[in-house]
Amino acid sequence: MHRTRLALLWASLLLAMMAAPAIAQTKDDSSMPKVGDVAPDFTLKYFDEGKLKEMKLSDYRDKKNVVLAFYVFAFTGG
Amino acid sequence: MKNFQQNLKTLEAADTQVLGVSMDSPFANKAFADQIGVTFPLLSDWGGKVTHEYGIYKDEYHAARRVNFLIGKDGKIKEEQVDKDAIDPTKIVDACQRPKLKN
Repeated sequence: MHRTRLALLWASLLLAMMAAPAIAQTKDDSSMPKVGDVAPDFTLKYFDEGKLKEMKLSDYRDKKNVVLAFYVFAFTGG
Repeated sequence: MKNFQQNLKTLEAADTQVLGVSMDSPFANKAFADQIGVTFPLLSDWGGKVTHEYGIYKDEYHAARRVNFLIGKDGKIKEEQVDKDAIDPTKIVDACQRPKLKN
């Protein structure tokens, strides 16, 4: 009885150890582009003057600098 | 977002377009912009594709981290601010005013 319990404990410990790196990997994306990298292009929608519009990052190439401000959620301040 | 709004004139004078990005719907973003008086576009990354591409998805929030990128006219990233550092955009405002970015 005692031995079975111990074996079970070891098994669950081993499982936890195996699962840990997988959890760590999915926690955050670690591949943020670095200073000097080309910013990945995108097309995103936004609402302006009562209309749904689209814009591409590459529309600004050779025209303007762009500040991209990612924020957690709307209505969070900052 | 408000901090960029406060610096918008300076940024525009330095030939810089400000774009907010979040995983909210365009409608939520519009309401948010109206509420806090933001006049630059708040883009909707519905589904989080762009947020993942930029490597800033945070599992903890099921949303993006707070990150600012300054992208030059050549399409390359000039400055980055992450998490708490991203609240005060002074570094980015200053960088825009550097002569090499104005050209």
